[in-house]
Amino acid sequence: MRLLLLFAFLAALGPALSEYGLKLLSEALILGLYAMAFNLQFHQAGLLSFGQAAFFGVGAYTMALLVSRAGWPFLPTLPVALLASGLAAAAIGFLSLRLTRIYFTMLTLAFAQLLYAVVHKWYAFTGGDNGITDLRPQGAFGESLPFYYLSLAAFALGVSFLALLQRSPFGYALRGLRDNRARAEAVGIGGFSHLLLAFVLSGLLSGLAGALQGALQRSVFPEYLFWTRSAEAILATILGGSGVFLGPAVGAAAFLFLRVWVQAQTEYWPFFLGVILLLTVLFFPSGLAGVGERVARRLWRVRRGAPQG
Amino acid sequence: MDLGFYLLQLVTGLAYASTLFLLAVGLSLIFGAMGIVNFAHGSFYMLGAYLLYAFTRGQGEGFWWGLLLVAAAGMVIGAVVERLFIRPIYRRPEEYQILLTYALLLILEDLVRFAFGAAYRSFPLPPTFASPLFLLGTPFPSYYLFLVGLAATVALLLWLFLQRTRLGVWVRAATQDREMLEALGVNVPLLYTSVFAGGIALAALGGAALLPLQAATPGMAVDAVIQAFIVVVIGGLGSVWGALLGAVLMGLIQAFGILVLPEMTMVFPFALMAMVLLLRPWGLLGRPPAVRT
Repeated sequence: MRLLLLFAFLAALGPALSEYGLKLLSEALILGLYAMAFNLQFHQAGLLSFGQAAFFGVGAYTMALLVSRAGWPFLPTLPVALLASGLAAAAIGFLSLRLTRIYFTMLTLAFAQLLYAVVHKWYAFTGGDNGITDLRPQGAFGESLPFYYLSLAAFALGVSFLALLQRSPFGYALRGLRDNRARAEAVGIGGFSHLLLAFVLSGLLSGLAGALQGALQRSVFPEYLFWTRSAEAILATILGGSGVFLGPAVGAAAFLFLRVWVQAQTEYWPFFLGVILLLTVLFFPSGLAGVGERVARRLWRVRRGAPQG
Repeated sequence: MDLGFYLLQLVTGLAYASTLFLLAVGLSLIFGAMGIVNFAHGSFYMLGAYLLYAFTRGQGEGFWWGLLLVAAAGMVIGAVVERLFIRPIYRRPEEYQILLTYALLLILEDLVRFAFGAAYRSFPLPPTFASPLFLLGTPFPSYYLFLVGLAATVALLLWLFLQRTRLGVWVRAATQDREMLEALGVNVPLLYTSVFAGGIALAALGGAALLPLQAATPGMAVDAVIQAFIVVVIGGLGSVWGALLGAVLMGLIQAFGILVLPEMTMVFPFALMAMVLLLRPWGLLGRPPAVRT
């Protein structure tokens, strides 16, 4: 219900926004979807992947190659991008999920960097570091407002799907595996298969975000697969708070607006990002949404006259 | 392509491996003893290079003093960083440690950019190594040999330290059972600060030692830390010899891979790491994780 209100509010906001505002909010929605997809693994399954950018990039490149090389219209490329990034996630997940903890993290990083290197060097197919440019979607989605609604629709679908997933037996199984894998497996939950499915779903939604981002920027570059992109998903998630359902999306929006604002003042954006991240980790590990939730809960209790805890 | 050429490639690879070892061994020890995944390790490597430049004002004559100063500065910086930032997060999950040190990486990169600018900072070969040596008629910088000697010395001293001194025994014990060490009355927080400071000093030394061969840039921190992780993961977390083996493998694969498939040099290290992780997840010289009860 709360989610529906949020989507309705965002939809109503559309016509009131300037061209620039639409672009910015579209990007926030896309980045939000990407971070939410990452958090499916991170929070629910307890897997820290440092290779999320691989699926973001595979989605973006699938869209870009189909549009520029095969002459497809933009919209039908999205399901293909979804499928391609899901397949990539199945392959990488199948190999990476045999390992746990820091080894899993490093292996996902290695595979993502491998893909990055291939995309970066394969000039004949991917255009190498020149990327693929001039990707203006044909027709209505070349305009800012329809594209905003498309991003919103993708965000809403993705987030609703994740919300359902969280409350499903599958979601509970994932959290069980996260908290105590041995015990969860002992009651009959297939550890590997559940984690692999989570990895694939997370990769697939990341790929959708990547394809949309490529269309928004009208170009894709190997940087889409670079590890700093993976770090972006992690940053947004931690900044917003991984323990609250919409936390990563809140973090993604905050991250984006902060970047735009700081970059307007100074070129030293990474420095400020670093300081913010440092303070978040040291003092607000539950993130912006976590702090917000706590404040709201306290206000709520005060209003009802309950004792403060 | 004659034999001299291949020998030269070999020496080049080993020289590169030497700086990589100095970088990676600290990362490995810090993880082994403290369980901290230090994503900022490469930043201290970068800092070492810039500090050498600053201490000597870019003059080759000041090389030896500069190197000593860099190691000392690395020690101090490492101790301060551990006290201020690392200590509060020992008991937090790995993800938060990675994120905190990633924040340090971002901050240090911009601080260096602010202090030194984004331009390349290069350093001449120190006067001691001004004249080249010859290998079967092929000239190569005598500085390469110094790097190999430096890394070999550090490896040997570290090994002696870990095997023969009481402090070394404690460091090794910390990798196995911290609570027991504490119960025996060892000042574990002080031990941690020392391990971190030592690891950072080695990274800074490695960065400084690389400077005469390769100009310093603010972006080198990220490359360095990823390389260091690959080395450590290949060799085995927490193992000095593993770091050495990993560094040598990486040096050789870079030096000879570029002859076979020049366009794929970026891929080799990651392919090697993926292969090792799949076959021996605990690394070539690491120990398989003990089964916890």
